[in-house]
Amino acid sequence: MNLPDKMRDLETFLAYSVALEEEAAGRHDELADMMDVHNNPEVATTFRKLAHYSRLHAKEIRNHARDHDLPRIAPWDFEWETMEGPETADIGKVNYLMTARQALNIAMGNEQRAHDFYFSISEGSPDEGVRGLAAEFAEEEKGHLALLQAWIEKLPPEEEPAFDPDPPNAPD
Amino acid sequence: MEHAAASPTASPKDYKSDIKPVWCPGCGDFAVLNALTKALAYLELPREEVALITGIGCSSRIAAYTSAYGFHGVHGRALALAAGLKAARPDLTVLVAGGDGDGLSIGGNHFLHACRRNMDMTYIIMDNEVYGMTKGQASPTTAPDWTRSKLTPRGTGLRPFQPAGMALTAGASFIARGFTGDPNGLAKIMVEAIQHRGFSFIQALSPCPTFRPEQMEWKRQVRPFEDERTADPILAAQRIQADDGMSMGVIFHAQYPVFQPGSQVVGELAAIEQEFAL
Repeated sequence: MNLPDKMRDLETFLAYSVALEEEAAGRHDELADMMDVHNNPEVATTFRKLAHYSRLHAKEIRNHARDHDLPRIAPWDFEWETMEGPETADIGKVNYLMTARQALNIAMGNEQRAHDFYFSISEGSPDEGVRGLAAEFAEEEKGHLALLQAWIEKLPPEEEPAFDPDPPNAPD
Repeated sequence: MEHAAASPTASPKDYKSDIKPVWCPGCGDFAVLNALTKALAYLELPREEVALITGIGCSSRIAAYTSAYGFHGVHGRALALAAGLKAARPDLTVLVAGGDGDGLSIGGNHFLHACRRNMDMTYIIMDNEVYGMTKGQASPTTAPDWTRSKLTPRGTGLRPFQPAGMALTAGASFIARGFTGDPNGLAKIMVEAIQHRGFSFIQALSPCPTFRPEQMEWKRQVRPFEDERTADPILAAQRIQADDGMSMGVIFHAQYPVFQPGSQVVGELAAIEQEFAL
């Protein structure tokens, strides 16, 4: 049984959606902290803003869930097609010299996966209510992609990659 | 899927401290922290009933990043400290964490005897096959042909330890391997390990993006163990020996007698302070 088939009721779908957004927000916070610690304030601010938007979306989904009793699903029981939630940034893709443009490109990938997740459910869930709400969420993710694209276009042209004259892996 | 309380009382965030980790961006140790806090939240363990004892090294800093009790101890001696704590406070959930160098080289002897003693605690080795904090030297789990350290320009030429195999032969009663690229899977293993009564050992493969960037490819190499866990040490030994070290899951799970000193000397704090007064 594939994932959309398992979204048989709104409660399960909303539990997945809340987890997706909250995990994404938590990861963006974590990435912002990493950049703070490594003195990359521009990218820290970028990730902080992304965390804020993920949290807004999570709040919105929680509002949808207000009148529903959501199942408690253990983190490892979510059957994502990736190792973490589809909107969660991969920790392995960041580095301390990264640029805001690179951060936003990572975010684009996350939003695209989130869109694809919701879209697949809007097409494949056996429940009509779930399909409708998933289609709404997929549209919102599409909107986020457009906003990110506009954000990227406003950035100044990419400069030369940052250079660290004393990188952490330099031999002593 | 588990359907339990709709509103869990604990969240992973509750188990994180306000201190921002100084690990390199991309480090697998972030995922160990995430997995651990998810496991503690799932188990809804009161923070004041959990103690995380660590050694020295990048990964051992994890004690500062949780809101449970923590003790950032002496190099290689985390297990000895933890054993003392568990002997004195059997009511605590005792967790121990550190790196492959801390646990298998400097603390190698403590590791063997902790497995043999089988006290009720969980030990997580965050294995990146390198000494990161001291700028990238070969550790006991480094492949013999790794040549990127100035100290071993032709590689160590030494066969690496197999932590799971060592734990098995030394008597650990729960042995598992997890991967930081799958923090949720790692959290599940941690829950089982913490619930296990006895010494539980987890080897968490945790890539070092700074000194071992090639480890970022581990995510394409790991896979679940093909076989179910076993309580048969002979079968477990065969599986560990046949494996290339990239299979994940619980390997061995048995019930052995747990060591816990029965008679404890109890003293008033003032009397103890008096005894140690300079």
